Amino acid sequence: MSEMEQTATHRDLEAENERLRVRVSELENELVEVQARTNAVVAQWQERAYWLDRWHLDLNALMRRRGASEFRALIRALRSVVWAGKRARRRLKNQ
Amino acid sequence: MSGVSVVIPVKDGARYLEELLDALERERPDEVLVVDSGSRDGSPGIARAHGVELLEIEPGDFSHGRTRNLAAERTSGELICFLTQDATPCPGWLAAYREAFTLADDVGAAYGPHLARPDTSPMIARELAEFFAGFATDGGPTVQRRGDATFLSNVNACYARACWEQIRFRDVPYSEDQAFGEDLLAAGWSKVYQPAAAVLHAHDYPPVEFMRRYFDEYRGLREAKGHVEPFALASSAGHVRRAVGADRRWLRERGVGGSELARWTARATVHHAGRKMFSALGSRAGDLPAPVRGALSLEGRDDNGTASAQRPPQASVVETPGLPATEQIPKMLDAEGYQVVSRIWANGPAPLLDPVPGMADRERLRLAMVIPMFARGSGGHNTLFQIFTRLEQRGHACSVWVADMHGYAREVWPAVLREQIREFFAPFEGPVFKDFGSWQGADVVMTTGWDTVHPALELPGCRARAYIVNDHEPEFFAASTEHVLSADTYSYGMHCIAASPWLRDLLVERYGASAEAFQLGVDHSVYRPRPVERRPDTVIYYARHATPRRAVPIGLMALAELKRRRPDVRVVLFGANEQLYASFDYEHLGVLSPPQLSSLYSEARVGLCLSLTNFSLMPKEMLACGLPCVELSGISAESIFGEDGPLELAPLDSNRLADAMEHLLEDDAEWERRSREGISYVASHTWDQATDEVEAGLRRALRDREALAGS
Repeated sequence: MSEMEQTATHRDLEAENERLRVRVSELENELVEVQARTNAVVAQWQERAYWLDRWHLDLNALMRRRGASEFRALIRALRSVVWAGKRARRRLKNQ
Repeated sequence: MSGVSVVIPVKDGARYLEELLDALERERPDEVLVVDSGSRDGSPGIARAHGVELLEIEPGDFSHGRTRNLAAERTSGELICFLTQDATPCPGWLAAYREAFTLADDVGAAYGPHLARPDTSPMIARELAEFFAGFATDGGPTVQRRGDATFLSNVNACYARACWEQIRFRDVPYSEDQAFGEDLLAAGWSKVYQPAAAVLHAHDYPPVEFMRRYFDEYRGLREAKGHVEPFALASSAGHVRRAVGADRRWLRERGVGGSELARWTARATVHHAGRKMFSALGSRAGDLPAPVRGALSLEGRDDNGTASAQRPPQASVVETPGLPATEQIPKMLDAEGYQVVSRIWANGPAPLLDPVPGMADRERLRLAMVIPMFARGSGGHNTLFQIFTRLEQRGHACSVWVADMHGYAREVWPAVLREQIREFFAPFEGPVFKDFGSWQGADVVMTTGWDTVHPALELPGCRARAYIVNDHEPEFFAASTEHVLSADTYSYGMHCIAASPWLRDLLVERYGASAEAFQLGVDHSVYRPRPVERRPDTVIYYARHATPRRAVPIGLMALAELKRRRPDVRVVLFGANEQLYASFDYEHLGVLSPPQLSSLYSEARVGLCLSLTNFSLMPKEMLACGLPCVELSGISAESIFGEDGPLELAPLDSNRLADAMEHLLEDDAEWERRSREGISYVASHTWDQATDEVEAGLRRALRDREALAGS
């Protein structure tokens, strides 16, 4: 390999190194950005969950308990009765 | 994933060993190690014939935990599978384990089901199938994390070497796998139940042998744990009826009916009734005549065991002449309080990630601060959050992790911790986590107190560790475990960022640590001279008796001496809600908010605040309000203020401290000078400056890692 070719290869390698360094730097910045966004989301949810945590309420665990779905269905049924009643009253008022 | 080693501890395991090794030849692991502990049935010969590596140990040297650790050390695979001598892998077993470790980044172990062999009774087969089905409701692999079942069985399990190296099996005679399961989840790893990594394991016993086996098992359980199997006719009959019903359903689902179902119903009735009865008998073996005991025991044991076997656990268990009766205490904790320290001593810190060129100079860093549990008014936490909040405002991705080694925050959930931090210290915007189940790695993990260091050393995925040292904590403790452990924290090569030059020098000289200093800042928007009239007769004293390093008894003696000399002086104590007994009259103010403190400092003539260790923030805040302050000489104050700076320094002598206070009360010119110099001196001490210094320290920690990698 001539000296000129060696120099060219060396330059290519350096350019490749530089490109990779830039890429690593970009990826690192992306990682920090993703981490910051994740932190913000978790913090936001922690803010929302404050009273649940304060009262030690794990709603997922609560809803997994026996009878929870039935209780929820009962509430929905009651709610639909209440709504039906309200609708009927509105209709009567409008007549 | 490359390199799988399989370890099989063996003793007289010839019955299934051939079959097991044949199955392994099909599965093609990279390495198989048989550990034989004194077999007399030709097991070593079978292993040699299969060309696998054989390690022979003395029977007395065998212990489930120790021997498996030894075997793991002798292998080199990245995955280490453990099988028992009677567990035959089913086709696809190894591939299934390889797959399990790809399901998450933090999988430390995986385990598979134990299938019934063809000769296994439906009663046993059903119980096994139902037990393992409980781990995977959808039939696929399940990743289990902290809070999930800790079950792990070395009949058929596979470990990531990195996880085993970090945790290792406890040196216990039995249940080393269960202990590992608990430790693994506690350390933040996950484990996988992989239904496809199955082994044939269960085998049957003739009914009588089965019952005698249960007699021995429950006898052992009584001896080891004091368990007494309940036995009442009605409830036992109900138990048997339910179990037989479940067996019949199981058989029907598999197409068994007619006379065969009737036959199995009879067998199941005998099986469950016998098991119930022999379990109850086994746990009451001590009440049976010796010949009956011997006849019922499969092992032929007619001895009375230890006294403990026959008595409830609360009662005396071993009566030795001359000794009082002992009391059997059941296990009450999952782990010892400082277990994490023991793990660090055994395994060392988790490896740091390779440095990335230029990482120290990146504009934004991922910072994770590990803090001990806190309370309102904690000065150390206030310092940390003043700085950390400013680091967050500079764009770094910041998170806080509460290392609750002592369980103080057991009843406090993370969102509440976060709100308390914001209320007590500073408006931190990031997330707050309790313990490390959701650990996500960091560029720099910052430890902040002696009891945060060992937990932080276990955390994976970090580029560097730094230690924000607020004080020389070994001095907080007399000769004690805590004294030793807090001194130990300086020995892990973490870059220390110390809260004074005195502390920095101490860390460097005494511990050989790499250290630099930062100056505590003052919030000048709060601590400034207030427009209140200064009372020339008032001495205020930070009398926080609960903190021994505040030398409160000496401070009270100094004030008593001052009151003796000048009875008209007004003494005000603050900083603790408890009222102290004193030999003089004083006014009590309790714990005050920063604005209230500022008013108090603006009203008083002399402040007294003592520290036997590192200099604290309070004297600076007094100076910022124009209040001259008396502190101890010869400890740390000179490193910041010099020998004749704005502070009036006195040695640890109540009379000399009284002299210093009297000097400031009497000499108006001197008071004026110190007040003026104090305001001027601390004007440049800000939290922004402190944040600059700490940030430089964090970047230095990263830079040191780069330099180390480059050297």
